[in-house]
Amino acid sequence: MKFFRLLSKNILRNLMRTFLTVAGIAIAIFVVATLLTVLHQLQNPPETPEGSLRLISRHHVSLINILPVAYRQKISQLEGVEGVVGQMWFGGYYKEPKNFFANFSTQVEDLFKVYSDLQVPEEQKQEFLKDRTGALVGRRLAEQFEWEVGDRVHLISPLWVQFKPELTIRAIYDAGPDDGQSLYFHWEYFNEGMGRTNFVGTYTIRADDPERVPQLAEQVDDLFRNSNAPTKTETEKAFALSFVSMIGNVQLFISSICSAVIFAIVLAVATAMAMSIRERTREIAIFRALGFKKRVILSMLLSESVALSTGGAVLGAVSAALLFRGVNTSMISAGFLPELRIGLATIGLCAAIGVAIGFLSAGVPAWRASRTPVAEALRKIV
Amino acid sequence: MGIPIKYNLRSMWMRRVGTLMTALGIGLTVSIVVIMLSMVYGLQSAFTEAGRDDQLIVVRKGAQNETNSYFNRNLFQTVRFLPGLAQDDKGEPLASGEIIVVINWPRLDGGETNLVMRGMRHVGFALRPEMRIVEGRRFEPGLREIVVSESVANRFEGMQLGQSVEINKSQWKIVGLFESDGSAHDSEIFAAYDDVAQAWLRPIYTSILVRAENGQAFQALRQRIDDDQRIQLQALPQREYFASQTGTAAPIMTVGTFVAICMGIGACFASMNLMYGTIMARVKEIATLRALGFKRFSILVSFMIEAVLLTLLGGLLGCLMALPMHGITTGTTNFAGSFSEVLFQFRITPFILTAGMIFALSVGIFGGFLPSLRAARIRLIEALR
Repeated sequence: MKFFRLLSKNILRNLMRTFLTVAGIAIAIFVVATLLTVLHQLQNPPETPEGSLRLISRHHVSLINILPVAYRQKISQLEGVEGVVGQMWFGGYYKEPKNFFANFSTQVEDLFKVYSDLQVPEEQKQEFLKDRTGALVGRRLAEQFEWEVGDRVHLISPLWVQFKPELTIRAIYDAGPDDGQSLYFHWEYFNEGMGRTNFVGTYTIRADDPERVPQLAEQVDDLFRNSNAPTKTETEKAFALSFVSMIGNVQLFISSICSAVIFAIVLAVATAMAMSIRERTREIAIFRALGFKKRVILSMLLSESVALSTGGAVLGAVSAALLFRGVNTSMISAGFLPELRIGLATIGLCAAIGVAIGFLSAGVPAWRASRTPVAEALRKIV
Repeated sequence: MGIPIKYNLRSMWMRRVGTLMTALGIGLTVSIVVIMLSMVYGLQSAFTEAGRDDQLIVVRKGAQNETNSYFNRNLFQTVRFLPGLAQDDKGEPLASGEIIVVINWPRLDGGETNLVMRGMRHVGFALRPEMRIVEGRRFEPGLREIVVSESVANRFEGMQLGQSVEINKSQWKIVGLFESDGSAHDSEIFAAYDDVAQAWLRPIYTSILVRAENGQAFQALRQRIDDDQRIQLQALPQREYFASQTGTAAPIMTVGTFVAICMGIGACFASMNLMYGTIMARVKEIATLRALGFKRFSILVSFMIEAVLLTLLGGLLGCLMALPMHGITTGTTNFAGSFSEVLFQFRITPFILTAGMIFALSVGIFGGFLPSLRAARIRLIEALR
């Protein structure tokens, strides 16, 4: 502790350098924290007890292929199935193509049983179920377009040009599997608009027990193996992850950027520390002459660098956390990105990166400085 | 009079370790910028370099792309015999009725993604002169044969020449490999129209690709298809159609811009740090220069030059570090369009390298200005005392 004053004096002796070094680290760690969080959230879709009961069944060949509506009945009869909801991605926009958001035509019979995490006032729920052209809208989406219950919404979809649903918002939900960012309307209405073609895109199945989920996936696929439309059934999480896999090698992309950024900071901090230590060659020699051990000098220089880089790293990570609290990245990217929440774990990781940067960057110059023979150092012209 | 550049070069050499480390740090930033730009450019050019100016792609009215389009088979005959279509040497109109289907397929490096499988008429090859068979041969209709690009063969399971694969419950054989210089065709697998339509039980077309005789016929043909109320189709110039898909690069662009701006500021700080350090260590030297008669402005310019030399060295290192990425193929999904994989190459062009150097130059100018100003303001008497 007696070195603390010395340490802080040394850090504060060249304020400009300290500021530039810390700010540089902070900005770089800001980038790293943001990218790591994007990666983490893409790879770990939120897991809820509700979600772990759900399976999603799609056509075996691809999600684009459609499934017959008759499958619902057959799946419902399997043991352990609590409910089945057929859905079709509608892909519509509101007024202009830029107002794009997730919207589905959905079978409503089991909707609130399967998606029991949709929080809707009972009265609105009934209103929605009663109205064939009613829509169920997420709170965040409603806020974005300033929609209220009773408002009329026309959707236009480039996928289904012949059908332009005219919907009335009957219910607004909170939470749900997507945190209130989608719109659902009656599949019956869609099917009529499409001329009773009787197909859906996916089935969401709710099991009565999470233990039964893997077995159920196989049972569903076995059911349709020899039909014209075989299915591929997977957990809700695996289904979400298949979209991440489609983006490409995000992990490699992000980890390459992060390593390059971290390496760049190590170089920048190393240069700053080397300059700072070189300017102090004489001073260090005097310390040595006064009887301070090499080890003490080495650890003093190292702690200086570790303090700087850890401080910068924490500053960067915390400011990223604060910034993304106020910015809804999910809305900005039309649902492409999850909402960024930089957690304590990420801040901790960034602090650890900061410590590592401190050691890596000051290691060599500090070791050299602590080793320079006193007489030589005192003679040296800086 | 200006201070000779030799002075700066020698000073940089004196502090070569610090100079090199800072330059390398800036270089890493530049290489990130260059690589991101090469991804964006590579992805965009996959779309912009495919297609021809005299070709139209005919889809259902209102469909923005082929994935959303489907129409009745007899419409093909209507379009095929419209006036103004170019013909091949056998007198066959250059019109290919096509169907696309999407298949979810495993990648060799793990994970699955969607691939576009295109069933086309044999004349489709003539309409895609960019496609050159490099190994094997073209498919023969009726045999369930497919040709794939080299990039697809390198990236997906079971897609290598000579392999037999099961797609949608039927067996297909890969009989040919082609390449098309990283254009959008590289992302698709090709088979005969009838084979695909039969295997999928979908006797429909999703699009028709046609070539016009000449520029005048092109406009007339487009007009005619768009205006004909009976067929409910629309004709899009193939070039424009491809160009409208370049939005696929937007996410990479966003990440790239974010990283470039932040790291650009960070790089400015790093170069400022080095420049302040070097100036503070040379106070006496600078004062001597002033005593020798060099003006404050000359000193400002001299140190600006030194800062810019430093970052340009970084830029050069960065460009060199980025170069090995050139030509590597990767892929992403066109979520808004085909909902399938688009393969593209990292493309580092002289223009992108210049952009990287300009980035480095701006870091030098912004990072060097304040330290150089500080150097120019050194008071002669105090410094020499």
